[in-house]
Amino acid sequence: MRLLTRAYDTVLYAMASVAAAMLIWLMVSIVISVLMRNAGFQPYAWLFTSSEYAVLYLTMLGAPWLVREKGHVHIELVTATLPAAMQRLVSRGVALACVGVSLILAWKGLELVLTNIARNDYDVRAYYFPRWMLTISFPICFSLMAVEFARFVFGKELLHSGQAGVHE
Amino acid sequence: MDWYEALGLLLGSIMFLMALGMPVALAFLAANILGAWIFMGGERGISQLLNNGLGSLTSFALVPIPLFLLMGEIFFYTGLGERMFNAIDRLLGKLPGRLSYVTVIGGTGFSTLSGSSMGSTALLGSLMVPEMNKRGYKKHMSIGPILGTGGLAIIIPPSALAVLLATLAQIDVGALLIAGIIPGLILACLYIGLIYVQTKIDPDAAPAYEVSPMPISAKLMLVLRDVVPMMGVMVLTVIGMISGFFTPSEAAAFGALGVLILAAVFRCLTVEAIKNSVIGALKVTLMAYLIVFGSATFSQLLAFSGASSGLIHWATSFDLAPISMLLVMFGVLLILGMFMEQISMMLLTVPIFFPLAASLGFDPVWFGLIMLLALEISFTTPPFGLLLFVMKGVSPPETTMREIYTAAFPFIGCSLLLVVLLILFPQLALWLPG
Amino acid sequence: EDTISAVHAFPETLIYTKSFLKFVDEVNEAGQGVVRIDVRGGPEAIGMFQQADAVRDGIVDMVYTASSFYGGTVPEKDALVASNITAVEARANGGIALIDQIHQEKMGVKYLGWFDSGVCYNLWTKDAPKLDAEGNLDISGLKLRGNAVYNAFFKDYLGAQVIDLSTTDVFAGLERGVVDATGWTQIGLIDLKWNEFLNYRIEPCFFSTDLGVIVNLEKWDSLSDESKKILQDVAIAHEKSSVEEMRAKRDEDFAALEAGGMQVITLEGAAATNYLAAAREKTWDRMKGLMAEAPQGDGNYDTLISHFYDADADK
Ligand code: NA
Ligand code: NA
Repeated sequence: MRLLTRAYDTVLYAMASVAAAMLIWLMVSIVISVLMRNAGFQPYAWLFTSSEYAVLYLTMLGAPWLVREKGHVHIELVTATLPAAMQRLVSRGVALACVGVSLILAWKGLELVLTNIARNDYDVRAYYFPRWMLTISFPICFSLMAVEFARFVFGKELLHSGQAGVHE
Repeated sequence: MDWYEALGLLLGSIMFLMALGMPVALAFLAANILGAWIFMGGERGISQLLNNGLGSLTSFALVPIPLFLLMGEIFFYTGLGERMFNAIDRLLGKLPGRLSYVTVIGGTGFSTLSGSSMGSTALLGSLMVPEMNKRGYKKHMSIGPILGTGGLAIIIPPSALAVLLATLAQIDVGALLIAGIIPGLILACLYIGLIYVQTKIDPDAAPAYEVSPMPISAKLMLVLRDVVPMMGVMVLTVIGMISGFFTPSEAAAFGALGVLILAAVFRCLTVEAIKNSVIGALKVTLMAYLIVFGSATFSQLLAFSGASSGLIHWATSFDLAPISMLLVMFGVLLILGMFMEQISMMLLTVPIFFPLAASLGFDPVWFGLIMLLALEISFTTPPFGLLLFVMKGVSPPETTMREIYTAAFPFIGCSLLLVVLLILFPQLALWLPG
Repeated sequence: EDTISAVHAFPETLIYTKSFLKFVDEVNEAGQGVVRIDVRGGPEAIGMFQQADAVRDGIVDMVYTASSFYGGTVPEKDALVASNITAVEARANGGIALIDQIHQEKMGVKYLGWFDSGVCYNLWTKDAPKLDAEGNLDISGLKLRGNAVYNAFFKDYLGAQVIDLSTTDVFAGLERGVVDATGWTQIGLIDLKWNEFLNYRIEPCFFSTDLGVIVNLEKWDSLSDESKKILQDVAIAHEKSSVEEMRAKRDEDFAALEAGGMQVITLEGAAATNYLAAAREKTWDRMKGLMAEAPQGDGNYDTLISHFYDADADK
């Protein structure tokens, strides 16, 4: 079990690192293509297309890690007025609802990937890019997000601060 | 289902989930699942929802945001920002709220280069808020001016949103862009006036320092060493854009590169600083992008279900005097703006509002500018103004959404005042293009 | 009464959308009490590139879009892109029936009609275009804005530097000189205000618009015979009337542009023939390659070309 947790954590942080690398790639790809263009060369079309795809990949690869970091913004204006015991209950309930949303999207995302493969769907831009290679990011992202939210349902830590709206 | 039932259901569910404290992005996704189920025919609607999200996230228009964030974070973590602000403190320390003024002036200058309100807010927020926080500024003095000037990016040219609006409404693009200059500058002046009033009411909100007298040569040295190089990066970015070396969308990449080079020159570019900068930029980017993923689809559901078009048709069906009709249209834009993304709003309202405006005898360029102002305000209106969340992401962790909302309101007031001025004196918009 | 929900790919103010909305009015007029189309909106309701999947999956019953937006699924759409005839001829010679059959097989949608055909693309430039000794277009030094539809032609034949810009970025790109040439349809340039920067139109024009109405097949099969007949009849009539309307609009636009100083540069003789042949053949090559990859194969290739390309018309 311990080994499994360690392996899982490695995957989670590796995905976040790839997301960080893609953020840097956004800068690098634009700089290269602008320099090429101004030097009179023809910039590779994949430089442009890759930065569009990077936006999707970096969001999906980094989102589960951000759940762990409690970086997805939420608002505690209303719940802060509840009594402490009630707040804990609501917090775990909200985390559970997030697990539900993530699981639904993970499941429908997987279906979408299978449909894309069966239909041989392409994303049509400068190139014809197999669509499943984009949509595969959905089941991966949302299943890991489900796990991360589940930690706030069953774990020691709460998703919400409970401190009268201070750490919203 | 009637339009008001659809509207009530969609808005009701998202408000309820947000009030419970569900993360904003997840609240959008949950409301989308419900909406897709009802309006897009059950299970298959959810696949469509994912497809829509894919479409809205694979867009070059989103690329500048993380790069502007990166630029601001590098300024912060390498200490370059601190150098510049220390210099400004030593030069202008006696002026209460000086960094708030610097934000408005710098932000207005920056808006002339950037067409992206989110990018502009991201840069100013990540650059200014931590520094102002360190110097004892109250939250509303740092957050408010940044939210205000962030919106200026779409009023003052260049502005991709203004070009799109002019194209959709078939009005002169150049005229609409130029029409934004004077009102944009007036808005910046209103912001400065507001800050002055705020520091008069509460002098502790932005503490002043005793400045020891300095010979003019020392001042000059300070400016040359600590202010000019940092400002230079921004100025070079503007020049690169105006000269056509890169497009406004590409400018952010060169801005970030410029700060990296500058940090290397000043010998403060450590691995630690780079790592922290990337992590900081990544966190805000992820948060904002996942909200974009959810809210773009939510906008589409409002449109597809007929909820938003129902509201628009209903509100414009009354036979009112031109000025009342203008206020009705403005009100509809404000309401939609609380929940919808700007481009969807334009696509929905332009085909109805512009013919109506023409029949009421309004000048199309003037009306276009009023509409741009409504769009600008909608970036910062609670509960869902996207800039508010970007701001939350770049602010110190103990900042609450309530503080961000309260900081935004006076600056929204300035924009509303500008709308009144434009109604009273249309020449403010029409003099330059005419 | 049958009700059909519909979305369109482009904003409501665009000329092509207006043409589709006119078709909707015609159907609703002719179909009173029998069939009605309920337009749910444009790209603000379902994203431009997601609409094809939406009609395929039955989220919406009808979509008016460019077939290039789902070119991965129906590569045969390139027969329309490279066509030099209009929907009227393609309807008469069975070309549209074949395209319909392919749409039904590969995508599960009924191809109801090819609207707004007979409009082609020009190359538009800021500065006077250069011609070489043989009268061929010399593209060196030109900063050309690209797009998935014509990249193959621009890059492979013209050897151009293609710069990818979204439509909304082109205005700023032209203004600042990031690009100084772009392809665009014969009409619409004025609506985008690009004529403020572009001064030359290069003839001949190449390609064709590929805008069509597709209907979810299950929905189509569930309609009454009377509804189907009304929809099909009105669509065929609109195929014809839209050709005439678009041509009138083109003449109007060209006149306005020329009055505003737009100059026309025409390639002559072999230069023009080679230019058009390259546009056509690069597109056909792409079509054949993608058709061959699909389980249905490329058996229809020659038939498609014979139905959508009329060699005599180019002479
Ligand atoms: Na404002
Ligand atoms: Na701007």
